[in-house]
Amino acid sequence: MPDHPTVSWQAMQGGNVFYRHQQLFSLDGKLPNFGECIVAGCRYGGPIAMMRDSTKIIALNSAAPSFVKSQIQVFSSAGEGLLLFSWDQAKIIRFGWTYDERLVVLNEEGTYRVYDLQGDYQQHSLGSEASELGVIDARIHENGMVAMTGSLTLLEVKGWDGGRPMVLANPKLSEPPNSWAVIPPDLNISRHVEVLLSVDNTVFTVDNLESIDQRLSQGPFTHIRPSPNGKSLALLTFSGTLLVVSTDFQRRMAEFDTSTVATEGQIQQVEWCGNDAIAVTWESLVVLVGPFADILQYFYTGNTFAITEPDGVRIISPDVCELIQKVPAPNLSIFRPGSTSPAAILYDAWESFSQRSPKADESIRNIRPELASAVDSCIEAAGQEWEPYWQRRLLSAAKFGRGYLDFYNPTDFVNMGQTLKVLNAVRYYEIGIPLTYSQYTYTSPSHLISRLTARNMHLLALRISSFLSLKPDVVLKHWASAKILRSRPTATSPDAEAGGDDEVCKLIVDKFKELGGGDVSYAEIAKRAWEAGRVGLATKLLDYERRASDQVPLLLSMKEDRLALEKAVGSGDTDLVYQVLLHLHQHLTLGNFFRLIEDGGEKLAPASRLLQVYAREQNRDMLRDFYYSDDRRVESAVLALDEASRMSDPASRISSVKSAQKFFSEDKDRGFEAKMMDESVRLLTLQQQLETEAGGNVSFFGQSVNETMRTCILNGMVKKADKIKADFKVPDKRFWYIKLYALTEIRDFEGLDTFAKSKRSPIGYEPFVRHLVAKGHAKEAVAYVARCDSPKRADLYTECDEWRMAGKECKERGDKRKLEELRKKCPNSMIAREFDQILSTMK
Amino acid sequence: MSSEDQTKPQENDPPLDVSILKEIARKSLIDALNSVNGAKTLVLDPTLAGPLGLVTEVSLLKHHGVDKMFWLEAGPLTSSTTNIVYLCRPMIKYVKIIADHIKRHTKESSKHNYTLLLVPRLSSLVSRLLEEEGVLGDITISAYNLQFIPIAEDVVSLECESAFKEIWVDGDETVIYDSAQALISLQKLFGLFPRILAKGDHAARLVKLLTTYLPQTRTSSSPDTLSELSDDFDSLIVIDRRVDMITPLLTQLTYEGLIDELIGIRNCHVELPASLVTPPSGPTSNPAQPPAPVSSTSAANLRKESKKKYHLTDQLFIDLRDLNFSSVGKRLNKIARRLDEDYKTSLQAKTIPQLRDVVGKLGGLQTEHQSLRLHTGLSEMLIPMTRTEQFNKSLEIQQNLLASYNVSDQVAAIEDLIANGTDMQTVVRLLCLASLTTGGIKTKALENIKREILQAYGYNLLPLLLSLASPSLSVLLPNPLPPSTPQAVLASKYPFSYLSKSLRLLIDDSPEALEEVENDISFVYSGYAPISVRLVQCVAQKGGVLSNPAEKEKSQTANGAGGGGKVQAHPIVGWKGFEDVLTTMPGETLDITQHGTESATSSIRNLTRPRDKSTTTVVFFLGGCTYTEIAALRWVGRQNRGRRFLIATTGIITGTSLVDSIAGTRKTAQGDAGI
Repeated sequence: MPDHPTVSWQAMQGGNVFYRHQQLFSLDGKLPNFGECIVAGCRYGGPIAMMRDSTKIIALNSAAPSFVKSQIQVFSSAGEGLLLFSWDQAKIIRFGWTYDERLVVLNEEGTYRVYDLQGDYQQHSLGSEASELGVIDARIHENGMVAMTGSLTLLEVKGWDGGRPMVLANPKLSEPPNSWAVIPPDLNISRHVEVLLSVDNTVFTVDNLESIDQRLSQGPFTHIRPSPNGKSLALLTFSGTLLVVSTDFQRRMAEFDTSTVATEGQIQQVEWCGNDAIAVTWESLVVLVGPFADILQYFYTGNTFAITEPDGVRIISPDVCELIQKVPAPNLSIFRPGSTSPAAILYDAWESFSQRSPKADESIRNIRPELASAVDSCIEAAGQEWEPYWQRRLLSAAKFGRGYLDFYNPTDFVNMGQTLKVLNAVRYYEIGIPLTYSQYTYTSPSHLISRLTARNMHLLALRISSFLSLKPDVVLKHWASAKILRSRPTATSPDAEAGGDDEVCKLIVDKFKELGGGDVSYAEIAKRAWEAGRVGLATKLLDYERRASDQVPLLLSMKEDRLALEKAVGSGDTDLVYQVLLHLHQHLTLGNFFRLIEDGGEKLAPASRLLQVYAREQNRDMLRDFYYSDDRRVESAVLALDEASRMSDPASRISSVKSAQKFFSEDKDRGFEAKMMDESVRLLTLQQQLETEAGGNVSFFGQSVNETMRTCILNGMVKKADKIKADFKVPDKRFWYIKLYALTEIRDFEGLDTFAKSKRSPIGYEPFVRHLVAKGHAKEAVAYVARCDSPKRADLYTECDEWRMAGKECKERGDKRKLEELRKKCPNSMIAREFDQILSTMK
Repeated sequence: MSSEDQTKPQENDPPLDVSILKEIARKSLIDALNSVNGAKTLVLDPTLAGPLGLVTEVSLLKHHGVDKMFWLEAGPLTSSTTNIVYLCRPMIKYVKIIADHIKRHTKESSKHNYTLLLVPRLSSLVSRLLEEEGVLGDITISAYNLQFIPIAEDVVSLECESAFKEIWVDGDETVIYDSAQALISLQKLFGLFPRILAKGDHAARLVKLLTTYLPQTRTSSSPDTLSELSDDFDSLIVIDRRVDMITPLLTQLTYEGLIDELIGIRNCHVELPASLVTPPSGPTSNPAQPPAPVSSTSAANLRKESKKKYHLTDQLFIDLRDLNFSSVGKRLNKIARRLDEDYKTSLQAKTIPQLRDVVGKLGGLQTEHQSLRLHTGLSEMLIPMTRTEQFNKSLEIQQNLLASYNVSDQVAAIEDLIANGTDMQTVVRLLCLASLTTGGIKTKALENIKREILQAYGYNLLPLLLSLASPSLSVLLPNPLPPSTPQAVLASKYPFSYLSKSLRLLIDDSPEALEEVENDISFVYSGYAPISVRLVQCVAQKGGVLSNPAEKEKSQTANGAGGGGKVQAHPIVGWKGFEDVLTTMPGETLDITQHGTESATSSIRNLTRPRDKSTTTVVFFLGGCTYTEIAALRWVGRQNRGRRFLIATTGIITGTSLVDSIAGTRKTAQGDAGI
């Protein structure tokens, strides 16, 4: 039977709070000496990365495994070596872990690589500025990092996709800070990263907008550590005073003098244990400082390394890997000596029950009202226990209590059972992920799955995901990629390779179908195959991909140009088509490019049209070539016309229109258009002449035929207007309207009169009246009424405000009905009376 | 009928709530803005201002750190803040301007953080262009996914003005893809459309994208409704504009349509004289818009001093918008009288409780009064415009063409219109109408009239005429067609006279019938029923195509059988009964039934669903729709119990805006739309 949980408990704050240290794994010197290394640990029970610290002297032929220069070694928490790789680039400045357990290594030239646990990496850079100035330090957090350049400015990188670094506000430092830290964006109210710099005896907080001096006086600080929830800060002064303040520096929460601890040597680490205690480490001592400055001491056999966890602190020493954490409330209430909480009584009752003692029934009856919550506590406490033995006992107690309840939702119980099964599986030393229950709920099951696949533990990952009824996609995808990498064909003959491809492809597809991975992106797997140099396999896999946007980039890199373009067009995603077109335009000769599109026929027609849209705005020369090479006369002509309309210089405009005319004339079906363009050229030339004749005061160029005639009349060049009418065969009707409008506009009523009398108007005289009235020349309009059709005259007169004339007109025509109608509308009584009079005369 | 029916709740369950779309759009805008820390300068694509005005307001932007706003226009940009946020559609001209700004700033060595928000999604074209310009490294690009915007309680729009031109003239199918995405988002909210019907080649393309895309956009983690059939929707009907080119060419005769034709409605806003919009006294109702952003070339604002934007949302407008303009006056009169009475009764209040009642109502009366004043004024503005000779002449030509009466005379009449200087758009509309209804204009006459157009309005219109005659549009064709015509054009010939009979497009409207009831959807064009809406009726109200349901109902009530009111809508059974008609029309016809993943459970759910729960039919117009079509669909929706329509469109169009966009003569950036 494992030790009772309380064995590792230690009291703090006068016995109100307990801390426990749980041994996770025994290491027995599997790891190198921490004293000689630079170490970075990953949260959530993740691995640790180590590199020899070249500033320290080490003894050769020591028993512990040591490093060759410039190697980084990664160990799991259980001390198993996961990865070893050497670094051939400039000096490493810092390395650290991302949220998804990838190792980020940054060198002094501002280049950083993101390694996964298989040793594959992506390389990104902090930009040219950083590489010129050099990077002197960096802080890496789960979803980004902040680097300090040689000129003491700060660069922030968000995410690990190689995003462009953002420059943070310049703190204007003259020397590097004594120490500094970063509060990740997701822990700040502003949702933007905040950097804390210890300068002289104060602290600067820097974000992307400003740098604020917090005006402290206790500094300088050797350590600054934000708590896991980002709400508090631990500061350690040179004199060894540990301060705990809120992140906004408004509240001081605790103060502790570390020099009171009787030990030798320097403080090595200041880490948080959960959110309410701080672990200060010396060479072989860890001191836990509680909120009220009371301390607990833990002794180890050698150098230690502490990793802050959200619910505790993980201590890795040469012998053991331990988790120190505050005892969770349900466990405290159950196991605390002398506890009388309902949960403790329930547990007690179950123990009595299993010993067949009648006390059980009595105890249960005592806590009847609180039984439900007692059951809940037992379930929760089970989750927080490390040993399966105690987990089982607590769950049994919960089950026992549940039997006394009429209505109890068993979901929590079942879930806890499942979860514990998963957790115990991954805590096994070969897996080496000492994940606690609260870390598991915080990071989500899918995160755990991805961590397992990253370690190539596909079977376990698959079993866990089916056990938790998660989709198997992620695992399958990773598995397939790994499979492709591992299954490199050994035979050299091409036949064998093809056979291998078929086999692997079939293996993958069958596995996917069998396990229901319907949504796995084949393109990504195909991409891995392509990267591994297995073109045949990639093509085969790609056929299974349904999403064009994923197929296309790979097809392009595989030089399957036509197929890529067809797939892109088929997807209907114009952006994808552009992507392909632009890529092809860059990589093919113009001739081949055009041929590819033209040969595509109807299938690629949308691509051809998109190319035209793009080229019309961006690359007209290419468009011209395109039309020309395809003998598209009409399009060429329209393009020339469009260019003409953008030109301001008359000569070049005319020549553009002329070239349009030429294109049209080359197409026998476009005779009409060619003729029209011919007219257009004639008109433009004529307009140039007119402008010179008018002495440059009047602008004609670019007007339509109508406008040209109108401008002529407006400027007294009536003869010219007549000539244009004749030259361009303008119909009489239109000409008459133009002249009418133009003459009215310049108020040349005499001219209008002569014009009206010049011959019988082809448009009648009604438009004269109406237009004049509309323009406010009612008086002038009257004269034309008489020439209109007699039935309309009366109305027209009234429009000219000539009511008497209208009356007279009606009288002459003997139109009594009209007169009566007018009588109803008449504007004043005088006219009304006159109308009445007329009416009376008409019988 | 109409407004009484409209205001009365049709059934007990509320209509589909589309305002959630607005909330989503608003929230994602705020999120996008908040991703940039601190004060920022917003540089806005002028064509986006209107749509954005429908989802958010300036104060909200200010609240989220927007310090100043500028139009995205050529010329220098001076910004006082370090952060500059560009918000625009992915257009090449905008990218050039942005690149220019950045280069200029680098030269002046002023440091800025640039963020580019592309609407509605990222574009590799843009990043490529920025790369070519050498500024890609200086700018952060992300997307602002603006999709359907509710512009009325039953209309959602992508507010993409040039959709028609892009699809049918340029051949740029981006809009189709974006529409498919927007419809998928709609399905994500409300579930899969159980049935999808489509008419038209591009509509079919859209539907194919929509149906093949489904399994792909699904992500394993998010709870998705994409695997379940919708409870709210009964079907989606997609109609592309090419299927019915006739309708937009006609002059709209409903109140809202006429405002759009004659004054112009942009993004639900109409520009009116300030005196009409501002209430004479008191701040009781304040429909005034927040001030427009400062334009970097602010001359545009000064010019429009006396004009004011008015957002057409008041209750009175909702009552009036779908009426034929001829009956608007009567309705206004009635409302004025009622209002007068209400005021009078309020004066008679004597006791204290009565007075309290009156004071409570007073505010409402005043708002009503104000909107009455506004709409009376607006109608007064419209009346003289409908009295002009050109307006009436063009109406007459339209009616004659629809009735295929004396076609050659109509062409001559169009020529007369050119002679007397009618605007180009009207002429082109009539000409296309003539070509469509008669199957082409006599070659000789057509050449003549084309020449007239070019001479009268400028030779630069030649590309317009070519586009209209191009195979993709073919709305302006000679008759007979030249022998070299591609097969596609021959196939797309429009069988108007056949449709006119089989779909009962022309309603012989005796004046008294028109007076009494709007007895068919044809009221929107005073005697012509829009083909597009007839097609919808073919699916959703089959009886309405064949005979007039209103009349039948009237006879029923006369027989004493009435009282029950409206007929229960029949279930969606596809195009059944009208297959022949549809095959004669050019363009593909589709009828697809979608299945959810757990079809068994959903069919059970269908059975258990209460029969009287009303469902919504989504009608999507690819390439835009007119206000009259919306009005007609609302009318169809009112005829039956148990079916509502949600109208979705790429944008609101008129014939004039179509012609303008094809000709490229539309004045871009008409200034301060919306926000």
